[in-house]
Amino acid sequence: MTSLDEGLLQWAVDKALEVGASYAEARYQRDVTSGVILRNARTVGVGSEVREGIGVRVIVNGSLGFAATNTLTREGVERAVMAAITRARATASLRKTPIEFSDERVGRASYEVAVKRSLGDLTAETLTELGKRLTETINSSVKEVKVPAVMFQAGTRLQEKLVINSDGAVIRSVVPRVTAFINFVLAHPQKGTLQRTVEKEASGGAELIDSWRLEDVVSEEVSNLEKVFLKGVEPPKEPIDVVVGSEVVGLLVHESAGHPMEADRILGREAAQAGESFVKPDMIGKYRIGTKYATVIEDPTIPGSNGYYLFDDEGVPARPRYLYKEGIIYEPLHNRHTAKLMGTSSNAAARAMDYASEPIIRMSNTYLKPGDMSFEELIEDIKLGVFIKSYMEWNIDDMRWNQRYVGLEAYMIRDGELAEPIRNPVLEITTKGFYSNIVGVDKHLRFYPGTCGKGEPPQGVPVWFGGPDVRLAKIRLGVIA
Amino acid sequence: MVTALELAESVLKRLEGRFDDVAVLVRQRDCVMVKLWNTEPSVTQSWIDAKVSVLVSRNGRVFSTELSVGDPDAVDNALRNVGEILTKLEPSEIYAPLPEPAEFKPLEGLVDQNVLKAMEEPGKYVEEMIDAALKEGAERVAGTLVFGRMAKALATNKGFRGMEEGTEVEAYLRAFKGEFSGHWAHGSRVLDVNALREVGRRAGMYATITNSKADFTPGKYDVILSPLVVGNLIDTIGWMASAMAVMMGFSMFMKVKPGDKVGSEAVTIIDAPRDTELAESTAFDDEGVPTKDKPIIKNGVLVNILHNTGTAKKMGTESTGNAGWLFPTPWNLHVAPGNVKSEEELISELRNGVIITNNWYTRLQNYVEGIFSTVSRDAALLVKNGEIVGHLGRIRIADRFANLLSNWELATKETHKIRWWEVETPTKAPYALIRQVNLTKPPI
Repeated sequence: MTSLDEGLLQWAVDKALEVGASYAEARYQRDVTSGVILRNARTVGVGSEVREGIGVRVIVNGSLGFAATNTLTREGVERAVMAAITRARATASLRKTPIEFSDERVGRASYEVAVKRSLGDLTAETLTELGKRLTETINSSVKEVKVPAVMFQAGTRLQEKLVINSDGAVIRSVVPRVTAFINFVLAHPQKGTLQRTVEKEASGGAELIDSWRLEDVVSEEVSNLEKVFLKGVEPPKEPIDVVVGSEVVGLLVHESAGHPMEADRILGREAAQAGESFVKPDMIGKYRIGTKYATVIEDPTIPGSNGYYLFDDEGVPARPRYLYKEGIIYEPLHNRHTAKLMGTSSNAAARAMDYASEPIIRMSNTYLKPGDMSFEELIEDIKLGVFIKSYMEWNIDDMRWNQRYVGLEAYMIRDGELAEPIRNPVLEITTKGFYSNIVGVDKHLRFYPGTCGKGEPPQGVPVWFGGPDVRLAKIRLGVIA
Repeated sequence: MVTALELAESVLKRLEGRFDDVAVLVRQRDCVMVKLWNTEPSVTQSWIDAKVSVLVSRNGRVFSTELSVGDPDAVDNALRNVGEILTKLEPSEIYAPLPEPAEFKPLEGLVDQNVLKAMEEPGKYVEEMIDAALKEGAERVAGTLVFGRMAKALATNKGFRGMEEGTEVEAYLRAFKGEFSGHWAHGSRVLDVNALREVGRRAGMYATITNSKADFTPGKYDVILSPLVVGNLIDTIGWMASAMAVMMGFSMFMKVKPGDKVGSEAVTIIDAPRDTELAESTAFDDEGVPTKDKPIIKNGVLVNILHNTGTAKKMGTESTGNAGWLFPTPWNLHVAPGNVKSEEELISELRNGVIITNNWYTRLQNYVEGIFSTVSRDAALLVKNGEIVGHLGRIRIADRFANLLSNWELATKETHKIRWWEVETPTKAPYALIRQVNLTKPPI
């Protein structure tokens, strides 16, 4: 199934053990991407990328070493094994306590995402035609404004992995993905510009492109955003009920529940890069972060999802994890190292971007649990409020506490109904401020794709984040200066 | 082991004659990175690999590919269908023939033998950084130390041949004391143990600079930005100076043109590929065009958009030697120093305001308008009457790049060589004083 047989990897693991490793893991990974880039309906770039190689990870003298090579011969792999061993050994004296992994029942398994149509159907020609149609749709959807720039990027990604470790894991997987990215700028002589990005990505085959109905999506977006652009007013200055749309909720739970619940951040491993966490080990299972609606789930096993996998890169079987459960900080994401440190079991969060990356704790698909109300029911008793449907700018501090989302498509709510558009409302709020002010959630669970960045060197991995529309009580919004 | 140029020529030989343009770019690396966690190594990572990038064109139709393989046969296999693919493409909007080879002046001193030795014993340099931070009173540290050797070679069917080898050092440390922290970074081609110690010392110094906290009210403040913050924000501005960012609608320079005023006279930003102290120094770009140092912004005036031959042809100008086949980028960035003798003197000039020593997560609401925000991390300090009075916690700059450049008033004489997670382009930057910057924090 994968392009490499087990022999070379098993040899690498055996070699590492022979020269002194107490744990060894060899992962073959091949990531093939291809795609097109258009600007204003004209081709700018067509290309592909193949990243293929082996990453070796060892524990030697209590020190963790990783080395990667793309010379897939016994000599090349041996050089990587020895680099991992000798360079880890060279820093072992600086460790106060040895690195150990939790004991796990690792798997011997093979899985592949089935596609209805081959990725090969999405040729450069096909994608170029799609980009041209979408650009034409955008240009024909505006009434008064100009569209000075439309960027379209689309392509396919095929990820093959084979993981073998000295605890007996043998995991093969094949996950194809399809991706589309559209960015457009609307311009008006007096109003300036407005910019929007629409992204789609999921695991599956060429059938995904049609299922996304991209022409309908961009047509509706452009039409709505032109109104926001030309007629948008400032949001109210006083505290009001704010309904945060699922697109914003998805990102918000990724940033303020997913990241702070990564055990490596909690323990400080990412302190100098992506930061630490407001969550401390003694808060787990006890600390109330929000109302009963604050349930955030992390689930790699959702079929068709962007963050899909069934076994992690340490060979541990995947399952859903409840990061926050009914308002309580509940279960961090673990790999085998943090699990050992915190006296628990791994919940299979170790993932590597490519062969040249060490497996670290990553999110997969993170979402806020939906309820059973309709959107109309969620807003029906709001006298004066704001609905923030989409965003562009966002960020959050390195403890995952102080965050900001700047709305793009947004509306006033008056007497229980959506009213006039609002321009650039700013939701600047703490993590507790958000989760403890949730007073309702609707039933519409929607997912959005992202590439989550973490690690050193930085690793971007595909994820989904999602949620329903969420109602917050008495929030003071800002506005772009 | 074959050299990067031998590999590039070997791949080129198999492809030339089949296409109008062929360029083969090979990058080889042997690097070691020690990552620190709670004052001890969390992992020691090594990379020994090669990447082959190939660009081919026929009748203006262009295809590029990047392959992490070291074997010419594998490249050949990966490209066997490209001829057929090209027939189905439309010509690229930014196609320009690869340039005829021009004489380029090689850069000297890109390899430091001390870095090569240090790759096998990174532990002792890690200890130097840690010790310097602990001496300042820090309780624990985290960070990264990288030593590496890189080779780059380019061969084109127009006859260009070039190869460079260089070493790299990247070091950064975050020091903690209680709830406070400090951070510093350094990036260079040479091993300078004093610079590594300085990373630890400055990180420790900011972590321990005061034990007090100060209240914060959102609003406009006069602000000193450290070289780390200047580096981060200039990184974004440098990226937006790419002609492709301008064409795609991802640039604040979309609404202006060279010659227009975009900042105060104190602002000069230079793309400096020939600065051999910085790790992306190079004598030729990815198309074989000789590189040159040139201002992006000089004394507040936009001077250069960064081009490859394709974007230059599209915009009716010349390549600036910044290819990227698709996306031109700056190599190294210099932010011009000012006249202020020391950081202390800059704080005196500030009198009342805020010092932001580090930041991350810079994101834009609108690239064309340059509307952005970024969050402080580590020490953000309130200054009253020229004295540091306390930590403000994590605050946010939420403003427009145009305002920052216009309100840029003073900078220190000394610049610092910065590269880390949040400053990807190697940068020399001073401390800068900027007036009336919008700062925010959540109300709840």
